[in-house]
Amino acid sequence: MFSHLEITKGANTGLAPKEIHPAILVLGLQFSEFKICGANARCIAALTAFQKVIQDYKTPEGMGNAIRHLKWEISTIDIEMSDDEAKKLLCEKIDNFIRDSITVADRVIVEYGLQKIQDGDVILTYARSSVVQQLLLEAHTKGIKFKVIIIDSRPRLEGKKLLNCLVNAGINCTYAFLHAVGFAMRDVSKVFLGAHAFMSNGALYSRVGTAMVAMMAKEKNIPVIICCETYKFTDKVQLDSFVMNEQGNPNDIVNISTTLAPKPGLLSEWLNKPDLKLLNLLYDLTPSKYITTVITEVGMIPCTSVPVILREYKPMVQ
Amino acid sequence: MTGPRDLNAQIESLVNRLRRRQVVGSWCVSIETAMLLRQVVSATRWNQVETLIKVVKEDVGRRLVMAQPRELAVGNIVCRVLRLIREKIRTFSFYGGSGTGTNTQSSMINLLGDGSPMGAKRASPLIISELQEMINELENTYVNIIDQAMEHIHSNEIIMTVGKSRTVEMFLKTAAKKRKFSVLVAETFPTYLGHEMALSLSEAGIDTTVISDSAIFAVMSRVNKVIMGTHAVLANGGLISVSGAQMVATAAKHHSKPVVVCTGLYKLSPLYPYDEDSFNDLVAPDPVFSFNEGDLIDKVTLLNPYYDYVSPELVSLFITNTGGHPPSYLYRLINENYDPDDTDI
Repeated sequence: MFSHLEITKGANTGLAPKEIHPAILVLGLQFSEFKICGANARCIAALTAFQKVIQDYKTPEGMGNAIRHLKWEISTIDIEMSDDEAKKLLCEKIDNFIRDSITVADRVIVEYGLQKIQDGDVILTYARSSVVQQLLLEAHTKGIKFKVIIIDSRPRLEGKKLLNCLVNAGINCTYAFLHAVGFAMRDVSKVFLGAHAFMSNGALYSRVGTAMVAMMAKEKNIPVIICCETYKFTDKVQLDSFVMNEQGNPNDIVNISTTLAPKPGLLSEWLNKPDLKLLNLLYDLTPSKYITTVITEVGMIPCTSVPVILREYKPMVQ
Repeated sequence: MTGPRDLNAQIESLVNRLRRRQVVGSWCVSIETAMLLRQVVSATRWNQVETLIKVVKEDVGRRLVMAQPRELAVGNIVCRVLRLIREKIRTFSFYGGSGTGTNTQSSMINLLGDGSPMGAKRASPLIISELQEMINELENTYVNIIDQAMEHIHSNEIIMTVGKSRTVEMFLKTAAKKRKFSVLVAETFPTYLGHEMALSLSEAGIDTTVISDSAIFAVMSRVNKVIMGTHAVLANGGLISVSGAQMVATAAKHHSKPVVVCTGLYKLSPLYPYDEDSFNDLVAPDPVFSFNEGDLIDKVTLLNPYYDYVSPELVSLFITNTGGHPPSYLYRLINENYDPDDTDI
């Protein structure tokens, strides 16, 4: 069923072509071992690595809107400009992009999001979104009294980092796994989720399990609020989680421990069994009917307005 | 006939084993309870049917239910036995007893309560043979369910299941003898029952894929049907099932995929879920967040529910040892098998 998706085998830098800059190799390794997690973090890391690369003058590879923006910048550089000046200008442009589209955008999103959190709210969130984390920390600093329920899932267990962060800030947290979401959902007043990308048909492409949480919230008529920067909007349309996805390492399913030390479970011999397969999907698609509103740096929009933003604000995004 | 001391010892033994969870699985619990109650009925001396009912319901039945309150199968079997007793006495008094032959409760009690030990002596073997039939039916539960496997599973289907259910396992293995299909098993954290189920199915030659619980919605669009087992079925058709089942059933409903529940009738309980939580247990959160992860433990609330309540709107079909039934039919089965007076055990 998922044979059209490549499984990421372990990264092997020995096989990489010799022309690739070491900063990119390091980046690739970090991505493949999930040392850097989350859309924003990966984007910033990629762009920072590209800055290094540009210093050493090599051609970078592609990553969505950010790269399109970068290419556009590169393509509009005056031919007359000297190499040093051009490199400095490009690095500055990248810094600006990170600042405008990610850092400042996050702050604007947090400002908008604060309007949506009131005293007495019970907020549910899934895995770990950097924007939602900032929003919750800011709301706590502002003195709003609310509770947070963090839903986590295997095998990534990203929610634990969010839990650490929020508990250390003094927020009243509950932690549960995805199987308990029906049980946990009964007291919830709002659900805040993060995004990896937003499709033009209003569908949310995010960490696997997000669709489940959004669906359960919709069942109980609880509003689902997505916090998403506009650089994540894309022209692509996608109807289900199959056509484009990523598979992680299947051995992550075999490992049944929830701590750092891996503990192989019953399925450790799965390679020897011809009829047994493991599937470790990384992303899934949440249909637009489960999403109530999207908070972006240009305002709070319904998810069906994503293509409008792309068309109207494209000059600003770029 | 065993003497009362032996009988007490047997009752004590089953109560203790239930309390210590040494009897595992609703099926085993049902059969042991039924066999014990058969002993109780045959060993008890009774003249009036009320005596027998009191012994079964209050002396023995209540103790068994208290030993493991979450195991609803115990209460179900006690209710069925009480119903059997009352039915037999009713038909016996209608056909065999002296008197007007009316069917009312009071005349029945009077018939036998007139100090005629003959009535009790004649009714007793009938009751015991009915109990034996019930035990046989319990023992043949699986056979009757898996006979229906071929009607429901077709070639090249993709079936999703969650948790580990002996019934579903046998159901799928039977179908696999003649049909080729694939199964997606959700791993059912934190009990990892899905892992055991997948191993077992793959060893029977069924093409099995294990997915993490988070991917259930993502793959549901390709699934043809969901087949799952359950811990108990409540009077409104709702399920008390393994944690995670509610997610699967809701996702299936959103994709309009049928949800089929394979269960024996011994799991059907006359209790009604006025409150969703009353049948649920929150168990130790250690698998969720273990002690050696340190100092966060006392600042955080951890939730680890063991069961899930699945509402009857999400279930399409129950496949039981008496055939396939929709959730709307269950009230008839409850009327036939249980008496309304007994639900307060």
